[in-house]
Amino acid sequence: MKGSAYTIGFAAVLGSACALLLTAAASITKPYKEANQQAEEARNILQALNVPRQDGTSWHGASSAEVVKAREDNVKEKKKGDLTTYVYEVNGETKATAIRFAGPGLWGPVKGFLALEPDMKTIRGMTIYEQEETPGLGGEIVAPWFRDQFVGKSVVDAAGVPGIIISMSGEPAANKVDGISGATMTCDKVQAMLNEAIKSIVEEK
Amino acid sequence: MVCATCEPKGLCGGKGLVTFKEGAWANNPLAIQVLGICSALAVTSRLENSLVMGAALIFVCVGSNLIVSILRKHTPHRIRMVAEVAIIATFVILFDLILKAFYWDMSKQLGPYVGLIITNCIVMGRAEAFALQNPPILSIVDGIANGVGYAVILAIIGFFRELLGAGEILGHAVPGFTSWYTPNQLMILAPGAFFALGLVIGFFNAIKGPDPEEKK
Amino acid sequence: MSETSVWVIFIAAIFTNNILLTNFLGMCSFIACSGQIKTSLGLGTAVIFVMIMTTMINFAVYHGVLVPLGLVHLQFIVFIAVIAAFVQLVEMFVERFSPKLYFALGIFLPLITVNCAILGASLFMIIRQYSFLQSIGFGLGAGIGWAVAIVLMAGLRQKMRYSHVPQCFQGVAIAMIVTGVLAMAFMGFAGMVAIQ
Repeated sequence: MKGSAYTIGFAAVLGSACALLLTAAASITKPYKEANQQAEEARNILQALNVPRQDGTSWHGASSAEVVKAREDNVKEKKKGDLTTYVYEVNGETKATAIRFAGPGLWGPVKGFLALEPDMKTIRGMTIYEQEETPGLGGEIVAPWFRDQFVGKSVVDAAGVPGIIISMSGEPAANKVDGISGATMTCDKVQAMLNEAIKSIVEEK
Repeated sequence: MVCATCEPKGLCGGKGLVTFKEGAWANNPLAIQVLGICSALAVTSRLENSLVMGAALIFVCVGSNLIVSILRKHTPHRIRMVAEVAIIATFVILFDLILKAFYWDMSKQLGPYVGLIITNCIVMGRAEAFALQNPPILSIVDGIANGVGYAVILAIIGFFRELLGAGEILGHAVPGFTSWYTPNQLMILAPGAFFALGLVIGFFNAIKGPDPEEKK
Repeated sequence: MSETSVWVIFIAAIFTNNILLTNFLGMCSFIACSGQIKTSLGLGTAVIFVMIMTTMINFAVYHGVLVPLGLVHLQFIVFIAVIAAFVQLVEMFVERFSPKLYFALGIFLPLITVNCAILGASLFMIIRQYSFLQSIGFGLGAGIGWAVAIVLMAGLRQKMRYSHVPQCFQGVAIAMIVTGVLAMAFMGFAGMVAIQ
């Protein structure tokens, strides 16, 4: 006859065994997980900065080791006050500067990198590496067509006021890109967080 | 009936083949038992995701069936459901950790649906209905059978949803297909999932024919 | 922390991002119990109650215990344990103080423990980094959304009894297809709130 003591004992042993196993597994896999996160970040920084790859293809197909090394070789991290910038340098010459941008999207945090040419006005590239937006609608912010429209755009308008516009309506402008139909809120939020990042670059100069 | 793998003794007491056929076909978890619908709908928007989810379910089902079966004579009756949940959850989290470590992109795409395997009625159902009353090796077979039965249907749904919804298979555009077919994005969104699942179950039933008992 | 207003989260959880019709959570009990409107109403009410209570409790447990102790990887197990324990408590409470209510609702409670919508709601709340107030709005909205979907489905299935459905499609298959049409209808709510 299995009494209460046995039941409690069984539960305790099973519970501890599971918790122990999982904690062990979590610590074993932690370095791999962190390496993956680092590689993902490196891939996005390199993509945004438009650092050319040896064979000319995109960084997204590269191995973790390759991107981490490429980031180490080509990108320097600089801190100015609160702002951390990622500078792509070749032989001491600054080719591009990138900063992180992040903010609340509609359903979850949105994180990415925005890279500017040495004139600090023209966009070199933009990548988003974390988002939870609605697939097919807001989720299109990671689609190549959306991303690529930022290349070559300006972060200041005709009057020199910093700020980009993501919108489906209005006149085309040097600092304006198309929005996503059916995803106005997501676009507004992405616009807000990009402008926040742009503001912090301008203020630090 | 002793299947070729274990001849001549039959590790499963001769019931291996019957159990497998039952779990994968006659009593298919998705089409017949109607379990595990949530993930079948959520992850089948792309074939690759469906395959990984299928693999996850086979892993968890086999693992939990095995442990539950090994412990079946020692588990106090009162807390058996809690014990099952704990064992299932452990395997699910293990799979999640492995995914995050070695298949990062997929982990981000599957998102919370990996964790939801814990509440996936298939795994719980098999543990309760089979593993608790059967020896370990046979339970493994049952776990594989149900897992495979589930994975195959998932793969079929995923294949059609990705093909009709995006004109692609495993992320690669099908040459020539999109020249005459405009991908219908509805297939990738929620309603498409329901339609695809309903049609696949309907056809499964049509092929299988009515239950022998129902024919009377 | 998401900046979306609580009202928007609430309305979206019911209509534009219905936890069942858009996120596919809670399908198993949905299929099993949507045969009759009365049963569906009962189950739906129970789900609303459990969902809002467990989101609040899980929020407290996650931010108060798991995060400070660095045990975030145990969140699945802990959330399920909380849900199971809560449902068990409710069952005991209802049985003790209102046998009539227990008789009406009692059978549904064990079903709710494995309802993936309940666990899913807690998980979404964490992923979307909702504040406490937002979590309440989300829990309530998600529960109501699920209940609305299941009652609608029950009504449709009652009507379908008079239709000639091919043999192989009877039961689950046709239910899925009808749910698909229902999901399509709910997609029409997009734009109702300034949500996307």
